[in-house]
Amino acid sequence: MNIFFLIVLIFFSGALLSFLINKILPKFSGITTFSTIVIISFLFFTQVEINSTTQFSLGDIQMQFGVNNYTFIFAILVLGLSILASLYSIKYMQHNDRLGYFYSNYILTVAGMLGIIFSQDFISFFIFWEIMTWSSYLIVIYNGYTTRNIGIKYMIFSAIGAYAMLSAIVSIKAGYGTFIISEAIENGAFDFTDNIYIPIMLLIGFAVKAALMPLHVWAPNAYSKSPMSFTSIFSGAMSKMGILGMGIVLASIYSQSTDDNAFNVLILKQVIGWLGGITAVMATIYALIQTDAKKLLAYSSVAQLGYIIVGLSTGTKLGVMAALFLAIIHAVFKGALFMVVGAVERQTGTTDMTKISGLIRKMPFTFFTALVSIIALAGIPPLGGFVGKWMLYEALITESNNYFLVIVVFFSSTAAFLYSYRFLFGLFLGQEEKETNHIKEAPYSMIIPMVILALILIVTGAYPGILFEPIANGMHYLGFSDVNWDMSVLVNVWGEESNMAYINLTIGVVFVVIFLFLTIKGYKGTRYVGTKDISSSGEIPTENENLTYQLDFFRPFQRAAAPLYKRSMDKIWNDLGNALEAIFNFTRKIYTGNGQTYALFVVIFLVILLIFKDTLFSN
Amino acid sequence: MEDLGLKIFGAVLTTILGFTVGMTYGGIVRKLTARVQNRYGPPVYQNFLDLFKLQSKKTNIAHGFMGHMAPVWIIIAAVTVLMFIPILNGDLWFPNLSFHGDLIFLLYMMVFGSLGMALGAGQSGNPNSAIGVSRGLSQMVGFEIPFVLALVALMIQYETTSVQELTQIQHDTGVWMVFSNPFAFLAALFASLGMFRYAPFDIVGAPAELASGPISEFGGKYLGTMMSGGAIFAFIKLTLYVHLFLGGAGNPDNSGIFATLLGLGILLIKTFLLYMVPVFYGWINPRYRTEQAIRYFWGWPTALGIIGILWAVY
Repeated sequence: MNIFFLIVLIFFSGALLSFLINKILPKFSGITTFSTIVIISFLFFTQVEINSTTQFSLGDIQMQFGVNNYTFIFAILVLGLSILASLYSIKYMQHNDRLGYFYSNYILTVAGMLGIIFSQDFISFFIFWEIMTWSSYLIVIYNGYTTRNIGIKYMIFSAIGAYAMLSAIVSIKAGYGTFIISEAIENGAFDFTDNIYIPIMLLIGFAVKAALMPLHVWAPNAYSKSPMSFTSIFSGAMSKMGILGMGIVLASIYSQSTDDNAFNVLILKQVIGWLGGITAVMATIYALIQTDAKKLLAYSSVAQLGYIIVGLSTGTKLGVMAALFLAIIHAVFKGALFMVVGAVERQTGTTDMTKISGLIRKMPFTFFTALVSIIALAGIPPLGGFVGKWMLYEALITESNNYFLVIVVFFSSTAAFLYSYRFLFGLFLGQEEKETNHIKEAPYSMIIPMVILALILIVTGAYPGILFEPIANGMHYLGFSDVNWDMSVLVNVWGEESNMAYINLTIGVVFVVIFLFLTIKGYKGTRYVGTKDISSSGEIPTENENLTYQLDFFRPFQRAAAPLYKRSMDKIWNDLGNALEAIFNFTRKIYTGNGQTYALFVVIFLVILLIFKDTLFSN
Repeated sequence: MEDLGLKIFGAVLTTILGFTVGMTYGGIVRKLTARVQNRYGPPVYQNFLDLFKLQSKKTNIAHGFMGHMAPVWIIIAAVTVLMFIPILNGDLWFPNLSFHGDLIFLLYMMVFGSLGMALGAGQSGNPNSAIGVSRGLSQMVGFEIPFVLALVALMIQYETTSVQELTQIQHDTGVWMVFSNPFAFLAALFASLGMFRYAPFDIVGAPAELASGPISEFGGKYLGTMMSGGAIFAFIKLTLYVHLFLGGAGNPDNSGIFATLLGLGILLIKTFLLYMVPVFYGWINPRYRTEQAIRYFWGWPTALGIIGILWAVY
């Protein structure tokens, strides 16, 4: 049997099995999911050859499955993160009911994503895209009645995207006579100087999943209200499916536009780049006023996707490389951070940063993961996040001449320090209250996936070349020739470099020296005290005094940036919704539902016919 | 191996130089400020005495792991940045690693210390520290904008992102970047007011209001180590500005000992004069609230930065 069919079959039978097994052995649903994904990953990485394809036909529609170098990047990302997230999920979801429902949809979502990666024709691409959308929608509404509206919002935007995509696919068949993606590209379906309809419609379809402004409004709620073991892949991997599609479309547009400075293409670059930049800024400033850690991370996901889209929009070697690198790194650290929040939620029952604080001593491994992931998120050297940010800035400055976009992106990533700190401080630092004394570290099966992700971030900071290799191969597939990369040296087109080996060496040496100095010097005289033993303006705080500072943490920044907070895309969409409702109300005045009114309409119509009969029926 | 030995020696020498200069400048400012306020003031070497006192304390209080690590982050950031900026252009004594990291890297590395310290301050549980951190980070978002605008202007004007290259260009052409892009320099100068945290931007660690803010829970060896890191940081910022805008220091064509000494002398004069800008500005200004400070940086300094970029493009 063909390996691609086998994998799809295992997915569907795994979904069915995890649903049925829940009736008999409720605990084994999660384990079934985990083992399904492990088996598939094993099959995928051992049996599937890159650039192998298999063709078959459904009716008279030619279809094609396969993996190329570009989609292989995303396959690593999806499978790697799904394995860890499903392992994490076993204990995280332990005490919930309707696990069969949850896990079967979980597997179907992963199946949808891997199916998208396999699909090399638009029909199966669309089918798997819809499987992914629907099963993730069912998980978004898993948490019950309160999440229904959130689910509806997600569904509406997904439907907008799906219709846009479908219309593009139909137009491709009509205009270029094929459903096979590579043939469509060869036939010039994405030649932007010729037709702008197909690429734009496809981009809209992908932008919904990639949460690009103005189509992002579903994301913050949907991310934060789903179970965290799912959000980990929802934000980490699923949003990257949008990036996958945008990458193909944009790269084809850039490589096919015969005239390098064609006006359409320039406009498209600017529009997408600026949309990405504005998405990043707005999502960041909304992230830093959140008090719920989940919501904070959800907004931050939208912001990070904005950077990736900025990178893709440049269309230069370094820019696209930065985008793909950031896509992988974002999956790693955001996957880890959602797992951290999930662990905190499971152990304490809340993720509201105004309610819990000072978990660092109780959950040290969780804190370690959070710290490493946040450093990567903020783009501070020497972790993997910095590598991506560095390439993005260099691409914008040296290659695409988009100087003001650099400032917008930089503003967003500086403001990201604020919410990064807020996240760590809110959950792990600050006052340790008595109410949190009983809290314990999360179980090992949850910690292991988190710590693995944190270690990946550390390794990719020292040796980003590990990721550059598949990325460079993928970019070769997209039509970029001579993509240079080095194991640990980053170089821009002007020849300047940042040498991660030297950076890591310096940081490591200084770290060891100073850490030893501080620890050994006066070791016996160093006393560790609790958070109540502080100099509170010369007074000794009593046991029950509330010294927590968590509410309105960045009020000064909010005041300074007040004009930015006045605009909200959510409000604009709501206004649009209200306007539409008003129009529909008006039509209700015509279709009253009263038979007498309809009879009146018939009479009026006949009268009009009689009056104009001469003009209408003169011949 | 000889080469490696020389490099390590150079690195240690650089660190000692940065530390000494930073500490001394701090002492001079204390003295000058006192004289301006009609006090007698401490001696110039007072900072060294303070450091000695702090480091020789017998008991130290730590508030847990992040509190213990806070000074480590600061020193890491300070020394790493110091290694990656050119101290003297093309000098054999201070070769370090200035070819292996560019401006974008330096920008990010410079916030490493502040964030690490903020985390340490956060673990102490003192609300004053948290308030100070909130203000400090907000203010940072303020002054980073004109600073980055200025740097981007330089980078695109000379098509290089390396500090070393920028210094070399100024040496070769003989035109300082103050004159070739004055708007960028002004934007960066305004940003430096916020970086040094003298008045009017000193609300972050306001002693009377916040009990010194983020550092209020640190003492003994921790405070001492942080102070050393802060001194190195002051030196770094000044040296970076000198190399970016004021023609740099050192003569790459001449590598004798006298050339080195002359270079050092020029570096000290330039950095000291530059240092006096935020200090003078502080003497004559009261304190801004945080949102006022942020608005200040997003006003004229940002406009100047944008003009600087336009100047560089056209």
